[in-house]
Amino acid sequence: MTSASIPAQVPPPASSASTSVSPLLTRLAEERATGALLRDRGTLFLEDGRIVHAESPATPGLEVLLTVGGGLAPERWREAVDRAGARRQVARFLVDSGSLAGGELEICHLAAIFDAAFFALSPGSGPSRFRRGATHWIGSVRSVPAVAVERETRRRRELLDAVWPYPRLDTSPVVPREAAPGQTVTLRQRSLLRHADGVRTPGQLAWALGRPAFHTMLDVRRLAAAGLVDTPHEPPPTRAPVVLPDWVTRHQPPDVALLRRLRDALEASL
Amino acid sequence: MPNVETALKEATTIDGALGAALVDYASGMALGTIGGGKDLDLAVAAAGNTDVVRAKVRTMEMLGIQDEIEDILITLGSQYHLIRLLRARGSQGFFLYLALDKQRANLAMARHQLKKIESELEV
Repeated sequence: MTSASIPAQVPPPASSASTSVSPLLTRLAEERATGALLRDRGTLFLEDGRIVHAESPATPGLEVLLTVGGGLAPERWREAVDRAGARRQVARFLVDSGSLAGGELEICHLAAIFDAAFFALSPGSGPSRFRRGATHWIGSVRSVPAVAVERETRRRRELLDAVWPYPRLDTSPVVPREAAPGQTVTLRQRSLLRHADGVRTPGQLAWALGRPAFHTMLDVRRLAAAGLVDTPHEPPPTRAPVVLPDWVTRHQPPDVALLRRLRDALEASL
Repeated sequence: MPNVETALKEATTIDGALGAALVDYASGMALGTIGGGKDLDLAVAAAGNTDVVRAKVRTMEMLGIQDEIEDILITLGSQYHLIRLLRARGSQGFFLYLALDKQRANLAMARHQLKKIESELEV
């Protein structure tokens, strides 16, 4: 019981190189690199090989989490960016000016890092580039080991499918369904369902609610599993046209003799 | 600046503390842990206890109780597990999780201390 840490007590499996979410990230962490790791779906900022910030266009950033979700006045955020952005100490300014408790900011910031990293490190996020030395204007809040971020990213992927294995839900418009008689809907679920207008996707709902996008995707999967949201059907597999045997399709002259015999037999029996 | 690390360190000074974690209950992720070990994997405890919190929230909705959960106590043969929900606007959806050795812990005192740690995180 020595120091507080992001849980890192579980050593990465020996085969971590092959199961690594991003080999480049693993290497940069080993090199204790400082800079920005840029991918199509997000950017991770590293300092001495540890992740100090992350952002992704797929999920609301710290600003939205704090102002929409957390009740921080937007002008307080803007003031902090204006006055402390240039010297890269926005986080410290927010706390020192009394806008936010240190603990609150840290908790929100950690949540934002893991959320953005989930999307930045998603498969198909394209090639990675590293801009050495780049830093982020939010300033230093807390850092997490790259291995913890990778492990959490993997855990989240598995969690989504363990809840309800329909990945199309993550990107489709959320269509609410009426609750069954006696079915309970919690406050948190109700506020999500209220914003679900049949057009917004989980990602868009995350912005409206000021919640991390992963959390919204997970909530939507849980709602779908409970039957409170429509599960989009996978597009039916395009069926290969049934090939009929030759003798069925080939035009054949009718067997007139056979038809006559049939007619005669029917007439005789009537 | 009281932060997650100092809050967790303070939690380990509570008599009988075996380990503590700060957990995001929507995702089941531990934002920070302290203590634990091979007998108590706090990352697993964090993920599992989010189901406890969710179940209680749902039960309260079913009962129509318009109230908030302050803390949840689970008593085992040899341990106490305490879950304390954070309530500040920016940290809703998180809880502190504390495992205590039943022989060495003073439950009333531990609850009180955990409450104090929670309030320090949020002011």
